[in-house]
Amino acid sequence: MNIFLHELKACKKSTITWTLTLVGLIILFLSMFPVISQEAEAFKKLMEGFPEEIRLALGLSVENIGSILGFYSYVFLYISLFGAIQAMILGVSILSKEVREKTADFLLTKPVTRTQIVTSKLLAAFTSLLITNVFYLGAATIMASLVETKEYSTKVLLLLSLTLFFLQLFFLALGILVSLAVPSIKSVLSISLGAVFAFFIIGALVSTTGDEALRYLTPFKYFDFAYIMQNSSYESSFMMVTIAFIVIAITASYLIYSKRDIHAV
Amino acid sequence: MNVIEINNLTKNYGKERGIIDVSFSVEEKEIFGFIGPNGAGKSTTLRTLLALIYPTSGSAKIFGKDCIKYGPEIKKEIGYLPSEVFYYDKMKVSDLLKYSASFYKKDCSKRISELAHAMDLNLNKKIDDLSFGNKKKVGIVQGLLHEPKLIILDEPTSGLDPLMQQKFFELLQEENKKGATILFSSHILGEVQRMCNRVAIIKEGRIIQLEKISALQENNYKKIRVQTTVKLDENYFNIDGVSNLVVSQNMISFLFKGNINSIMKKISEIEIINVWVEEPDLEEIFLHFYEKGA
Repeated sequence: MNIFLHELKACKKSTITWTLTLVGLIILFLSMFPVISQEAEAFKKLMEGFPEEIRLALGLSVENIGSILGFYSYVFLYISLFGAIQAMILGVSILSKEVREKTADFLLTKPVTRTQIVTSKLLAAFTSLLITNVFYLGAATIMASLVETKEYSTKVLLLLSLTLFFLQLFFLALGILVSLAVPSIKSVLSISLGAVFAFFIIGALVSTTGDEALRYLTPFKYFDFAYIMQNSSYESSFMMVTIAFIVIAITASYLIYSKRDIHAV
Repeated sequence: MNVIEINNLTKNYGKERGIIDVSFSVEEKEIFGFIGPNGAGKSTTLRTLLALIYPTSGSAKIFGKDCIKYGPEIKKEIGYLPSEVFYYDKMKVSDLLKYSASFYKKDCSKRISELAHAMDLNLNKKIDDLSFGNKKKVGIVQGLLHEPKLIILDEPTSGLDPLMQQKFFELLQEENKKGATILFSSHILGEVQRMCNRVAIIKEGRIIQLEKISALQENNYKKIRVQTTVKLDENYFNIDGVSNLVVSQNMISFLFKGNINSIMKKISEIEIINVWVEEPDLEEIFLHFYEKGA
């Protein structure tokens, strides 16, 4: 419990910063909605001017940009990018910082098991992401109800928004695994940004091909917004992949961390 | 009863040598010195005892329990001070010590203030703002605040000024009187001689000598340099117990082992400008004595 609280305190600042960023972004995006929905026709024309590949890569679907859910699923792409970065940085740093800041000796000579350390840190990271998502979800639902005058499904809005959390858990698990697999991490930021952008770009490329199987390559494509809007549910196969990856990555992290030698500084 | 029992402990770092076949034990209430030159394997041995690293082969027991398997349980009664201390920079000293104390299921606040007072440590500063010596003091308080039964110190005196070293040794001796067993590593023979009952000497990963400090004191080496007014006969100091004699111009230097009075008489018989009598460092002793034995 004491490690959990210590870690939570240590990531307090970043949790607040990221929460404010995501909340601010969604407020900004959704406040643009009334203007865009009024000018939907003109906007559609403008976008039809873009080549189709670019529209696909950007996630722009012309037909429903005028509805709140259509517009939301478009701007959400950028929310998810930011969210992924937050989770990846958290994942990469949470275990590796003890080695980088040379505090591993302090922590590991205390009467705790390595498993306890990983569990406490994982829970702290999980809590940090949970806090971000609660505030984000609140801001998104309130903003949507403020800017949209027509009927829309709140359930679909929630389903769309919750994909942020799943995506973040995926990147958290990935980050932790990477931090343990790479021998010594000098810069958390570059490794995190590199990985997230790589997946993001793969996602954009996969969109242009329209090949379903390629979607397994990047978590950014695990949650198809058109599908969610149509069926009010997630695609079970991709949900399974997400859960399987998280379970495997976390289990591997526990094993690696328990066996690892902590070298002198 | 043995508090620490190390049996044929071996640790390789890939192909590189760590320690080879290290065995020794430390008895209850003993102050045990662990000396050797830098890179000999002192830290490797201590870090294995603390389950920071895992042995390649062999085993070690602390309080009769395997130090890897029962690591977390054993560590309730161990205080550890590494040679270089690093803590969470953004924390205040008092917060760090409270965090440290929170791992032990007892109230340590009184003990913290006692120790901080003894070590003259300001609890309200940020770790980041502390000098190296002051960080070391935080380390000392942190290692002793839960009144451990076994204190493990890895080159504890580096970075402490002589006055603080003295204070620190007094603290350790107090703990020892209260029943704590102490194992500490060093590459300075003098401080080991002053503190310890027994020592193990490690060189290139192997224990080469294990003895009572009294035995070591019989091998009491002095490093002596004499500056004379006139050039001396080269063989003036070539008496029993002198080794490594170097004469250049008016400077004579040598290692001396034996009755210190005989050499002082020799020095007093000549006209000198200056004389230095120093503790040889361990490397020098290794060069002259242990190389033959090892």
